[in-house]
Amino acid sequence: MEIVYEGESLIYGVFGNLLLAAAFSFALLSFFSFLISIKNPLDVAWKKIARTSFILHSVSVIVIFALLYFLISGRYYEYYYVWQHSSDNLPAQYLFACIWEGQEGSFILWAFWHCILGLFILKQNNEWSAPVIMVVSIVQAFILSMILGVFVGDLKIGSNPFTLLREHPDMANLPFVQLPDYLNRIEDGRGLNPLLQNYWMVIHPPMLFLGFASTLIPFAFAMAALVTKKYTEWVKPALSFTLFAVLSLGTGLLMGAAWAYEALSFGGFWAWDPVENASLVPWITLVAGLHVMFINKSRQKAFAASIILLSASFILVLYSTFLTRSGILGDSSVHSFTDLGLMGQLLFFLIAFIVIAATLIIYHIKKIPGVKEEDPILSREFWLYLGMLILLVSAIQISFSTSIPVINKVFGTNMAPPVEVEAHYNSWQVPIASLILIMMCIAIYLRFKKDDKKRFFKSISLSFFLSLIISIALGIYFVFSTVPMYLLLFASVFAIIANFIYFINKLKAKFKISGATISHIGFALIMLGSLIANAKKDVISENVLNVDLGKDFPNNENIMIRKGDTLSMGSYYVTYTGQRKEGVNVFFTIDYFRYNYERSTLSKVFTLEPFVQLNERMGNVAEPATKHFINYDLYTHVTYAELDKGDDEKDEDFTKMEEVKLSIGDTLSTSRHLLVLSHLNSTQDRESLGLAENDLAVEASFYVIDQFGKSKEMKPMLIIKNNTLLSKTEELDEEGIRIKFLNILPKENQLVFNIQERKSNKRDFIIMKAVLFPYMSLVWAGSFVLVFGLIISIRNRMSSK
Amino acid sequence: MKKTHIIALIVVAVAFAIILSSLSNTSTYANFSTSAKNPGKTYHVVGKLNKDRDMIYAPEVNANLFTFFMIDNEGKESKVVYNNSKPQDFERAEQIVIVGKMVEDEFIASEILMKCPSKYNGNEQDQNNLSYSNESQ
Repeated sequence: MEIVYEGESLIYGVFGNLLLAAAFSFALLSFFSFLISIKNPLDVAWKKIARTSFILHSVSVIVIFALLYFLISGRYYEYYYVWQHSSDNLPAQYLFACIWEGQEGSFILWAFWHCILGLFILKQNNEWSAPVIMVVSIVQAFILSMILGVFVGDLKIGSNPFTLLREHPDMANLPFVQLPDYLNRIEDGRGLNPLLQNYWMVIHPPMLFLGFASTLIPFAFAMAALVTKKYTEWVKPALSFTLFAVLSLGTGLLMGAAWAYEALSFGGFWAWDPVENASLVPWITLVAGLHVMFINKSRQKAFAASIILLSASFILVLYSTFLTRSGILGDSSVHSFTDLGLMGQLLFFLIAFIVIAATLIIYHIKKIPGVKEEDPILSREFWLYLGMLILLVSAIQISFSTSIPVINKVFGTNMAPPVEVEAHYNSWQVPIASLILIMMCIAIYLRFKKDDKKRFFKSISLSFFLSLIISIALGIYFVFSTVPMYLLLFASVFAIIANFIYFINKLKAKFKISGATISHIGFALIMLGSLIANAKKDVISENVLNVDLGKDFPNNENIMIRKGDTLSMGSYYVTYTGQRKEGVNVFFTIDYFRYNYERSTLSKVFTLEPFVQLNERMGNVAEPATKHFINYDLYTHVTYAELDKGDDEKDEDFTKMEEVKLSIGDTLSTSRHLLVLSHLNSTQDRESLGLAENDLAVEASFYVIDQFGKSKEMKPMLIIKNNTLLSKTEELDEEGIRIKFLNILPKENQLVFNIQERKSNKRDFIIMKAVLFPYMSLVWAGSFVLVFGLIISIRNRMSSK
Repeated sequence: MKKTHIIALIVVAVAFAIILSSLSNTSTYANFSTSAKNPGKTYHVVGKLNKDRDMIYAPEVNANLFTFFMIDNEGKESKVVYNNSKPQDFERAEQIVIVGKMVEDEFIASEILMKCPSKYNGNEQDQNNLSYSNESQ
């Protein structure tokens, strides 16, 4: 019997699926009609169909995006994706984040950016629009196939975001979805993973996906160049798009680094995690491609190299998609997506584009023109070319080590990732970065074609010797542990100074034409900051009491600190003053003090509140807190804590009940406090206790004095109501004292109390780690300078058209 | 021979060196018996926490010492010593990967990776956590 379900809004799902079908079909139509129109340039009709299809495709994708937002914000839990990612009490600012928390939504986000970029190119309506959008269209068809969710025979194509909850494979067999009113029984959606309820989750994925999307455009230009046989003309219009891709992907990467540093407990901003690497590698090849494009433009050569590099960048984005979404990374990464069983399809997507690009390149490579003469060593193009090769080595090294899980799968090997991940990557990437930085200086001071030896050495010598002196001084000041670190120190200082002097002397400090120089300074600042912050980071929470097991097992980075205790850490004194619960978070208040010699006291400098997010579903997540100064950052992380159980404190946490008889003025000592019974008075506030005329309520006043002489008052109360004794227990939470006023013995002139104390070893404590990162601000300053420089370059290219 | 050819050769050589060195840098997944046969060599061992035996973490004594017993995928058990604080939510881990070496009878771990019920992606099989009222009518 067919079940009639109540309260479902099925119309949106139907609409969504129609839009998906339309978006997919129009992408294909756009591709084929552009293809035909390129083959028959005189046939205007096909071009018109193609342009219209692309617009309709884009509108569909944008409406799909809006519809998904509408369903998520309206909490339409009949849709599995909505139930999975949204929830009733989710703050509004995270509703967007729900869209891209899952694979399906992030595919839509990716497709959305392709549409925006595509429409921009369509609007330019020049000779490149048709072939470039043709490539964009076919890529869009592939992406949309990932969210179609249709079956061809037994083969499932894509995972559909509009699948109904009751029809989703994980749910369909559950008994409750057979009930007509199942929707009313769903109390709440599962909601956004609390770990991701963070403003970074709102801004980082859109930026990163814009970066991914923007790598498509240079690739599309390169492919368009081959298809239309305009092997050289594509460089000029493609250049600003390549710059934009470098900018947006770079910003996405840096935002990811900032997220990791601020909110995740990596204890750094770059962990060489496979997912980070997978997005870094396309950026490196893209930068290499960008620099070869400058050779293309100035010397009319090396066109094949830039076509290959830009194609590689896009294919590496697809590879990174494959790595993060297919589930192949498994244990080796913390932030890959869930496996949706799309591995086959993702692999097909990747291989299809490798085959398409490789075929086109191999077919056309012999026909690509270019000046064939050798580049003299003293020419800018020689060093750009060399720099490109070194970037390639860097990309190969990162790719190889990141791909170990893939290699295992393909060759059936059993390799594990490198044991010391950072050391492994740094051993290659530090020398490579040094070479790149030095080449930046050489290339910028050399002219294209052939330069004069004397002129070159004369112009670069000032920066060289100045940098040498500065880096020797810095080297003596900081003292590094390995030779490559000194090399990187010199190289980054050299790159900063040489580019700065070039900016002042040669470019006369004109910002408009100085995009490259400024970007290079930014990159060098990031390298210098990373070097100092990483190499000279100081774990100030070092637990000196423990036995050191040698450098293989750094065993003393965490320290235990009890509530109220003060420990010396680095140049600070640190006190843990307690925990407090706010919503789902438990904050630990940690005060940092400095010793004040003039007044010989400790004065508070700042307070940090790292927290643990209580997360029933995913496990508790600790988030560090960092204090930023110009010359260093102080990172504080609670690695372990006994969390308060809330109000229902167990009786066994306290010492056994003890009855004591005291007279006014008596003193009693507990293990940590002195209790002085000072006086007795009758309660004023009779009404609120609901006392009748003959009833009585008395308060006994105690002074609770701690070891420092600080005192607090406690007033346990005894109520005599209708001739029965009622006691109200008083408790001082921080001191851990409970007093119960039991009786008054008028004859002996004594009062009877029950006094309990919290067992000493149950005192609140945390295990914390504090790390001082020197000159971390250089990394972020450098990031802004790099982004600024790239924006200047793009503006300059756009206006020079 | 052209300069570019020489440079290209050098690049190929360096790339080759990188791959060789990376291969020698990787450790291998192994079990406790292999690890015990090669003391001093670093391995990744995959297994599960033995919940029947005591996990010891006494921060009052040493905040950087945590010991537990793990059963590897072949069913062999070993004591594991981790010179660091106890990872948050350790008990919840479905699977543990420990990186380190065997020293005498103990596995000294330098790193612990936990596979939690999908910490970073929200698609675990927690049907029992499904929030709907279950009383039938």
